[in-house]
Amino acid sequence: MYLASGGDDKLIMVWKRATYIGPSTVFGSSGKLANVEQWRCVSILRSHSGDVMDVAWSPHDAWLASCSVDNTVVIWNAVKFPEILATLRGHSGLVKGLTWDPVGKYIASQADDRSLKVWRTLDWQLETSITKPFDECGGTTHVLRLSWSPDGHYLVSAHAMNNSGPTAQIIEREGWKTNMDFVGHRKAVTVVKFNPKIFKKKQKNGSSAKPSCPYCCCAVGSKDRSLSVWLTCLKRPLVVIHELFDKSIMDISWTLNGLGILVCSMDGSVAFLDFSQDELGDPLSEEEKSRIHQSTYGKSLAIMTETQLSTAVIENPEMLKYQRRQQQQQLDQKGSAARETGSTTSVAGVVNGESLEDIRKNLLKKQVETRTADGRRRITPLCIAQLDTGDFSTAFFNSIPLSGSLAGTMLTSHSSPQLLPLDSNTPVPFGTSKPSTEPVAATSTRPAGDSVSKDSVNAASAPAAPSPSILTTPSKIEPMKAFDSRFTERSKATPGAPALAGLTPTAMERLKEQSLVKELRPRDVLESSSDSDEKVPVAKPSSLSKRKLELEVETVEKKKKGRPRKDSRLMPMSLSVQSPAALTAEKDAVCLSVPAAALKLPMPGPQRTFTLQVSSDPSMYIEVENEVTAVGGIKLSRLKCSREGKEWETVLTSRILTAAGSCDVVCVACEKRMLSVFSTCGRRLLPPILLPSPISTLHCTGSYVMALTATATLSVWDVHRQIVVVKEESLHSILAGSDMTVSQILLTQHGIPVMNLSDGKAYCFNPSLSAWNLVSDKQDSLAQCADFRSSLPPQDAMLCSGPLAIVQGRASTSSGRQAARLFSVPHMVQQETTLAYLESQVAAALTLRSSHEYRHWLLLYVRYLVNEGFEYRLREICKDLLGPVHSSTGSQWESTVVGLRKRDLLKELLPVIGQNLRFQRLFTECQEQLDILRDK
Amino acid sequence: MAKVSVLNVAVLENPSPFHSPFRFEISFECNEALADDLEWKIIYVGSAESEEFDQILDSVLVGPVPAGRHMFVFQADAPNPSLIPETDAVGVTVVLITCTYHGQEFIRVGYYVNNEYPNPELRENPPLKPDFSQLQRNILTSNPRVTRFHINWDNNTDRLEAIENHDPALGCGFPLSCTPIKGLGLPGCIPGLLPENSMDCI
Repeated sequence: MYLASGGDDKLIMVWKRATYIGPSTVFGSSGKLANVEQWRCVSILRSHSGDVMDVAWSPHDAWLASCSVDNTVVIWNAVKFPEILATLRGHSGLVKGLTWDPVGKYIASQADDRSLKVWRTLDWQLETSITKPFDECGGTTHVLRLSWSPDGHYLVSAHAMNNSGPTAQIIEREGWKTNMDFVGHRKAVTVVKFNPKIFKKKQKNGSSAKPSCPYCCCAVGSKDRSLSVWLTCLKRPLVVIHELFDKSIMDISWTLNGLGILVCSMDGSVAFLDFSQDELGDPLSEEEKSRIHQSTYGKSLAIMTETQLSTAVIENPEMLKYQRRQQQQQLDQKGSAARETGSTTSVAGVVNGESLEDIRKNLLKKQVETRTADGRRRITPLCIAQLDTGDFSTAFFNSIPLSGSLAGTMLTSHSSPQLLPLDSNTPVPFGTSKPSTEPVAATSTRPAGDSVSKDSVNAASAPAAPSPSILTTPSKIEPMKAFDSRFTERSKATPGAPALAGLTPTAMERLKEQSLVKELRPRDVLESSSDSDEKVPVAKPSSLSKRKLELEVETVEKKKKGRPRKDSRLMPMSLSVQSPAALTAEKDAVCLSVPAAALKLPMPGPQRTFTLQVSSDPSMYIEVENEVTAVGGIKLSRLKCSREGKEWETVLTSRILTAAGSCDVVCVACEKRMLSVFSTCGRRLLPPILLPSPISTLHCTGSYVMALTATATLSVWDVHRQIVVVKEESLHSILAGSDMTVSQILLTQHGIPVMNLSDGKAYCFNPSLSAWNLVSDKQDSLAQCADFRSSLPPQDAMLCSGPLAIVQGRASTSSGRQAARLFSVPHMVQQETTLAYLESQVAAALTLRSSHEYRHWLLLYVRYLVNEGFEYRLREICKDLLGPVHSSTGSQWESTVVGLRKRDLLKELLPVIGQNLRFQRLFTECQEQLDILRDK
Repeated sequence: MAKVSVLNVAVLENPSPFHSPFRFEISFECNEALADDLEWKIIYVGSAESEEFDQILDSVLVGPVPAGRHMFVFQADAPNPSLIPETDAVGVTVVLITCTYHGQEFIRVGYYVNNEYPNPELRENPPLKPDFSQLQRNILTSNPRVTRFHINWDNNTDRLEAIENHDPALGCGFPLSCTPIKGLGLPGCIPGLLPENSMDCI
């Protein structure tokens, strides 16, 4: 919750309610009149070169507008103060009033240049300039506060003239027509203010229940010191109050319920008027009002922003469901937060381990006093608190007594650190002053400090003498009056020597001071961060990933030549690359010039016999026996395969170097660069394939066969469809330049080969792009910094397994630990790295065609986007998943992604999107379109 | 909007003998770091009749002042009795604490001070020539009178903004750089701008 004020010091100040500080008084004011609310300045906006005349928050609270005697209107980004979104130039006179269109499409300003201008918020350009009703306007008013009706239909100006009579001009939104006005005030209209509510006729018992048109209510204040209140359904004013004040009316404000009205005047008084529902009618609820807006202007205009969300209308029952659930969670969180604050307050009142009490006792001794070059005393004040706009910390330092009277009782009043709230007086420096309550008019009282008023300085008035009874010498009352001027007037003695060079603090001192100040804070941060800095046992994730490997059925087949293996546990196999050139030549040069042939991978030597277990469930073995049968001097090799007891065997003419199998195929590589492929029943599927060079490694997954040759070329075929997936692709580009080894080879179920290298990087070959893609990098700093734990669904955090997980070899939750350590990383950077990381994970899963993991990471990514409020990316995703609703032949849209139906994915994402009310439009849009598609 | 606001002034060691030093513990809050020091003064009003008898007990520079809440103790010697008119020595007078920035006074905190003989005999029959060693000073701490003045906090030599009644007709015409009245902000001219003070004590 923010409050903006504009001053004659050219500044706009934005205030925030300090909720943890109770009522307090301003120093020097009477103790009885305490400020109930505490407000603290959070931003000072500087741009205007003259007095600020009006400020206005946009209906969605995303913008703050201010206008000034410098003839401009400035639009501030309320989400990111003090950013300026636009400066509206065009007025040639002092701009004295502002009003936003209730749906946020326009902003209107009225100026002394006899014009009212309407600006578009879309491009901040002038929509129209209305001058005719103001042509006759002579003289000036202090303010020209115009107002837009809550239904958006009418804009009502301040000071306009019609037939030389002062009016408030009604401007219709449709075509900016100026046919009507409010007439009757004898002098210029200074303020117009619509009631925020829209009303409907109060239904009386017995009367016909004819539904009446909703109407608006408008208050008009004038220089003639009177106030009129109008209903748009009546031709005459509802009420006129003459001579409410001694001077011109300066501002009007309606209470939120629309039944009260506060009016302030130049004479320094404020009036409060109270209406009953009988007089004004039944106010429409915010829902009804929003419905009127929607029916008139469409949904698109009612853009949602965070601040408005609490009052946003939930338009969809599904949405409501998600919101409810979320609220419950928030409640839980609040509960724990409350417990936390409870513990923090116990250490309140302590600065650097020293209570304020102690500080005060020793202040005189401790404070640093120096002499300036010209011999003057200079005291370095002790900083007791930073200006913290956070609501918690400020409360710690408030145990200074409120007024001087407490000095005597200081010790007792401070034995309880429960903070006499003193935060007090920055917010309202002038004003909280006079407790006198002599009535001026029936409804008005003397100002009790109108902090909203733009006039920050009240005229000095003679203060009442203090009650003499306090003093022991009643005879001296007379002289005390004589002192009055001394309290209020600047004496000759005060304007002392102007600040000289000696007064300027040296940079050193300043620095010291600042560092001292800073020390107060980060201590506990450091401590907490070291707590969270758990040391993760290295063994754990690795064993975990191994278990995952087991779960992963036939993603990887492991082949170890020679010895039969009893278990199916997959051991990474190591292939070292012997690159003779690399040893001699410069590494970089190698990268560029050494031909692929220079890479040489180890080759399996011919063995007499070997056995290979393909899988344990179903149990499947391959047995190879070389040079077994001699028929007429010809040696044959026998390949035997046993699958769940069923055996088949076949013979080949040359020696078998290596074999591999999957549930679908069995393949063997023989001497003379021959590769043969058999079906699960032992039927030869293809004539032998001639490899470009001797085999190094052979792999099967499903119907895919991958062969890595000794010259580091890679081929993958789909033997069922009899097509090539990867054709003699060189590993040169990924292995070049160093003596890296391939530590692990993987062939996914979709025939995507993945090479894990010894330097921690993993590449997969993307057949459609015909390029190597980096899918994992253990040194990836993104992964280290990304922190998306908040977006992890509690249940399946650890359960995502698949080629990507195998390749990356770590549990998905292990990332982000680094992030906790790097607590100093600004949120923005953290957000960016997390986004980048999640995106690369989604992309990697997509490239690996691992649908399960793609779904997992996409969900995570979307959840993160929703949590952090990234709308554009979210929209893009939804758009792609939804595809065209109306089928067109030219559409390039694929309805599936890695075997998942996109629209099903979208359905899955919708509940996630629904968690943030900000995206309820998106949610509704997608759901509606999905419904349309389903009905088709 | 004032960059510095005084949160509290605590009067220490009160009441005390006439000759003992004044001690005020001042806490103030600063919105934005100040480029220059604040100057604080304690002024003892010798006589209600005339400013002539005002004594500046001490003036002290306070800085550097970063944004935040600060406190310090301002100690100053007791007034010189020889400068106080004999008729005003006993009874009620005023002590003022003022603060200036760039030579402009922006706050004045005033306290009533009652000087009297604690000894009942002396009170009944005060000596003709006041005996300051017997006098006790009692500052009426419960009722500080605080006056705040609008000053120019920025470094430029802008004129001090005129307060309300800014006549738009005039304002229309002249350039907003405020050069015409440049120089008014200099210290010597300040007493001439009396109307812009504001009084907000009881």
